[in-house]
Amino acid sequence: MFSQQQVKDIIDRVIGYSKLPGCEVNVQWTEDDFIRFARNGITTSGYRITQQISITSTTADKRSGNSGVSELTPEALKAGVKQAEDLALISHPNPEDMPALPAQTYPKLSNFDPDTAAARGDVLIPQVQAVLEGAIKNKLVTAGFIQRSANAVGVGNKAGLFGYHTYTDSSLTHTMRNQEGTSSGWATQSSVMVKDLNGAEQAAVSIKKCLGGVNPRKLDPGKYTVIMEPAAVADLIGWLGFAFGARDAEQGQSFLSKPSEDPNATATFLGEKMFPEFITLRSDPFHPKLASTPWGPSLLPNEKVSWIENGVVKNLFYDRFWASKAGKKPTPFPANLVLEGQNNTLNDLIASVDRGLIVTRLWYIRVVQPKTWQLTGLTRDGVFLIENGKITAPVSNFRWNQSPAEVLQRTTKLTEPMRVTNDETGSNMAPALITTDFNLTSLSDAV
Amino acid sequence: MLVADRLFGEPQPNSTRPSADLEKLGAVAIAEAKKQGATYADLRIGRYRNQFSGYRLSPQRGSSVTDEVPFVTDQNSFGFGVRVIAKGQWGFAASPLVTAEEIARITREAVTVAKANAVAQSTPVQLAPVKAYHDRWTSKFDKDPFAISMDEKLELVHSATLSIKKDPKVFSAFGALGFQSEDKYFASSEGSSIQQYVVRVYPILNAVAVDFKNGVSRTRNYTVEPQTAGWEAIAKANLGENAPRIRAEVLEHLAAPPVKPGKKDLVLLPSHLWLTIHESIGHSTELDRALGYEANYAGTSFLTTEKMGNFSFGSELINVFGDRTNERGLSTVKYDDDGVLTTKFPIIEKGVFKHYQTIRDQAHLVGEKESRGCCYADSWSSVPFQRMPNVWLAPGVSTVTPEDLIAGVDDGILIEGDGSFSIDQQRYNFQFGGDAFWEIKGGKKRGMVSRVAYQARTPDFWHACDGISGQSYWQQFGAPSDGKGEPGQSNAVSHGCSPSRFRQINVLLTD
Repeated sequence: MFSQQQVKDIIDRVIGYSKLPGCEVNVQWTEDDFIRFARNGITTSGYRITQQISITSTTADKRSGNSGVSELTPEALKAGVKQAEDLALISHPNPEDMPALPAQTYPKLSNFDPDTAAARGDVLIPQVQAVLEGAIKNKLVTAGFIQRSANAVGVGNKAGLFGYHTYTDSSLTHTMRNQEGTSSGWATQSSVMVKDLNGAEQAAVSIKKCLGGVNPRKLDPGKYTVIMEPAAVADLIGWLGFAFGARDAEQGQSFLSKPSEDPNATATFLGEKMFPEFITLRSDPFHPKLASTPWGPSLLPNEKVSWIENGVVKNLFYDRFWASKAGKKPTPFPANLVLEGQNNTLNDLIASVDRGLIVTRLWYIRVVQPKTWQLTGLTRDGVFLIENGKITAPVSNFRWNQSPAEVLQRTTKLTEPMRVTNDETGSNMAPALITTDFNLTSLSDAV
Repeated sequence: MLVADRLFGEPQPNSTRPSADLEKLGAVAIAEAKKQGATYADLRIGRYRNQFSGYRLSPQRGSSVTDEVPFVTDQNSFGFGVRVIAKGQWGFAASPLVTAEEIARITREAVTVAKANAVAQSTPVQLAPVKAYHDRWTSKFDKDPFAISMDEKLELVHSATLSIKKDPKVFSAFGALGFQSEDKYFASSEGSSIQQYVVRVYPILNAVAVDFKNGVSRTRNYTVEPQTAGWEAIAKANLGENAPRIRAEVLEHLAAPPVKPGKKDLVLLPSHLWLTIHESIGHSTELDRALGYEANYAGTSFLTTEKMGNFSFGSELINVFGDRTNERGLSTVKYDDDGVLTTKFPIIEKGVFKHYQTIRDQAHLVGEKESRGCCYADSWSSVPFQRMPNVWLAPGVSTVTPEDLIAGVDDGILIEGDGSFSIDQQRYNFQFGGDAFWEIKGGKKRGMVSRVAYQARTPDFWHACDGISGQSYWQQFGAPSDGKGEPGQSNAVSHGCSPSRFRQINVLLTD
């Protein structure tokens, strides 16, 4: 792993080669170990080291160019600097370029676990074997993925800024299907500590869903009360976070924009109550379960930010440029999200639903209308009917069309949050929740 | 000189031999793998370049004054990956340090990984046979896009975006030129030594219009074919000439009435239909999905293996090919990442599903003796696996024009360009938006409508196809980054087709 001194040396060398007034360097080093399994056996797996140095050079009149190199020889770094500077000199002035940040005091985060950083096959394979054994014992077929990574990141610039951080992360996720292909269950775990992954525990969840999902009922599409399990909620809040940009909101292109006769009005719903009082959504890079870094893309120190607090839109995402124009403090990008929960269990939620559905996870979520933030997607790997507070039958999958803001607006009850890592929305802390009038638009035959 | 530049330097004129330095490094991996007890090994050394530059023109905060924001980035990545089979199990390891010593060390790591995993294998890996090739191949391009000055690139996009923004009613304009290259060397223990170089281009032009009073925002894109080609493709794209059209059409889109939902006939142009082909045919006919290898992420397929050769996928008009040999296709190469010579093969013939996309370690699972050359890894640090070839829909009878298709529609929608897209994990239920929609009434194209999406079930949709235009209307669009796999990888892939008509599809009114 790159040490702090190694990262400092790389950054100093790059800055030493640079001739233009501005030079910013980002260093990323990752070592990861992963195993894929399918058809009840390991299929592919790997161990790899990757590294990338990104260099941004800027002229005095705000022209900038960016290059990236993965070779670390002096020649390669010199070539990377030259490429970034040549691009900057050819480019045109960027009116939105912001002055380089001076030295920052970055917060200390504790998300590096030495055992995770050192874990290899002897740690990962037993968890895979536990899942495989569960599948074979129950005459099911499993496919999944386990991985762990150790990461070193560094930033520096010509104005004296320097930062270094190391963190680890790991995850195990798998799908359990019956041999006829008529039922599917799924489970996931992720943590900065690989010791938190437990294949046997996880397999018990997916096996129960898979065995219980045979012969699903085909219900009519329509609006349903739905319990979203944490994996589904994590995707929805991740997508909601993407829509919290101040620029779009102030320029009439977001669900947070207020309609106005004046196209220059910049009116938004910031400060207004749009959600139930118990909805609080925040970014928390200090959460010990999240693999966050001490700085965001702007290189400002990462910090806790409430996006929704007690139902009120509390902050929008202001990058440094837009914040300077709006007279606001910049905010970090809405990542490392935590949707605060309530003191309920999933069983409490189920018991409180007269008639509704419970959904394991969502799939292939895409924006249908950027302005309203209407999304579409499907349910996947376990949908069940709830009647009179009890799960009574498996149900076929659905396509849905709905804004994630509406989901939170119609939320009535939540559990405590847990960490979920999804492919398109990253790692977030999400509870299960009950939402009403969820718009299921058509049936999907997929299992 | 950089290591990558030395290894992947200019070939001798007309050379069909890989660089001698690369071959030496290949031999190191193969020898070390054999020494460690591997029964198969391959080494890929790769250099990847991604250049992206352009302009965003958008209003300042609280003002109608336009900021013109340029961006320029050029990313390079270089390293190697070694794949081995030991004790019947795959192992893989990769490093960015391309030296003989590191290649030997990483090869040992790959063998260690394979041997460790052998305790949890279901069946030993079995590879379809392949010939040994010694070759050097370069994709077709006239003008190297990386040799064109950045100044010329920025000026072209700047001028096109200025033209879009000329009408103050247009809110913002965006234009970009993307260029990708892959330098790749492949050596295998079966005797192959292959060096390939691929260059791809993808231009983008986009306009946004906003109605602040009514809270409405609409877009319009100039959809240019991304392709394996050089700078000549950018020149042919006529960005400057198309900018005024985008400017006018985004405002028309903003004012367009909402669609009346219900069952309607659709006439889909190639700039739109490529994505429907990609999602519903391209992904459903991947053998690794059908077999369950992707069950945990990308999903499986409704095309289970007993359907091969007999399942009625669509109407008799539907003829679809998998093809990594076609000119300008984004996934076109001479050899895949298994070292297999690529081919063109039928996927659907007269509406019947015939063949899956395959790679060496899965072909035998459906009784095939050879791989169809669909193996790809998106980086030196990625494990090669089954990825989509160019999957294209054959044109219809040469005399059929798009106007003929429209003339046969009483109540329908003409769709150009891609928009929102989503499909389930077995590739049955899909929903697509688009970039621009025109109403068809009484056999005539009318004005634009808005807020259109359509939903269908894959086999029902392709059975509803009753008209495909001829060869002269065939165009090839595609995706520069299609995601699949764990860890995730992206693949560039093209889908050619002619304008086609689909009867009585469920059209929705979106928000």
